[in-house]
Amino acid sequence: MSRPEEGGVALDDALARFRDMMASDGYTLSWSVTGEDRVVVRIEAGEDACADCLVPLPVMEQIMSNALEPTPYTLDHIVLPAK
Amino acid sequence: MTGRERLLDPTGFDEKAADDTLAPRPAGLRGLTIGLLDNTKPNAEVLLTEIAGELQRRYGAGKSLMYTKGYFGTPAEEDMLKRIAKECDLVVTAVGDCGSCSAATVADGILLERAGIPTVSIVSDSFLVSGRAMAEVQGFPGFEFVAVRHPVASLDAEQLRERVRDVLPDVLRILGVES
Repeated sequence: MSRPEEGGVALDDALARFRDMMASDGYTLSWSVTGEDRVVVRIEAGEDACADCLVPLPVMEQIMSNALEPTPYTLDHIVLPAK
Repeated sequence: MTGRERLLDPTGFDEKAADDTLAPRPAGLRGLTIGLLDNTKPNAEVLLTEIAGELQRRYGAGKSLMYTKGYFGTPAEEDMLKRIAKECDLVVTAVGDCGSCSAATVADGILLERAGIPTVSIVSDSFLVSGRAMAEVQGFPGFEFVAVRHPVASLDAEQLRERVRDVLPDVLRILGVES
């Protein structure tokens, strides 16, 4: 899902642990690299997703920015499920 | 529409909110009124009632007052927070066992601390990250809250009592009271 790392924590390792948290509310988390070092995080709702349980966007941005700190990447943006 | 509608910020954040100082802690719990802020998630009310019972039986805390939020995914409304701050000496709020409600439960704790009320927010350990991120968004990155083992919603009465016994030392520590 991500490019090989040249230093720091691998992108997949940094973000994978949040999959479980999102899965608890019925969401799937995926990510892709754009440009040199920017990451786009995508959240998709599963069939049984709790619509009211999704973390607010500013909080999700904080979570992902913190998670990316030990990696060479920074957060570009988060794509939330369509309402 | 006759006027501007007020939009509710899911983070409870506004530009005035940047105080990361805890409310003064009580010397003890004897006779103090406990506010219980129920976010309507399953078992939240039972969990809060059990905690209040322990604080009353073991530490002589006074009466408890239950408050129920209108919606679990956002912080409690300002009027409710003001009423709680006026009527209670300390607050326990629960239960953050999803993404939005864990963030909102932590936000409630921070807003009440800023209103001068020692507050314990209870979040399930699956959503610690969400709670911590909300504390950072609120400008209070060191805000401490209690992590209860996930899940909570599916527990029976005895299992809930066990959870309460597990977290009671942390509840007391955050309130600044020796166990």
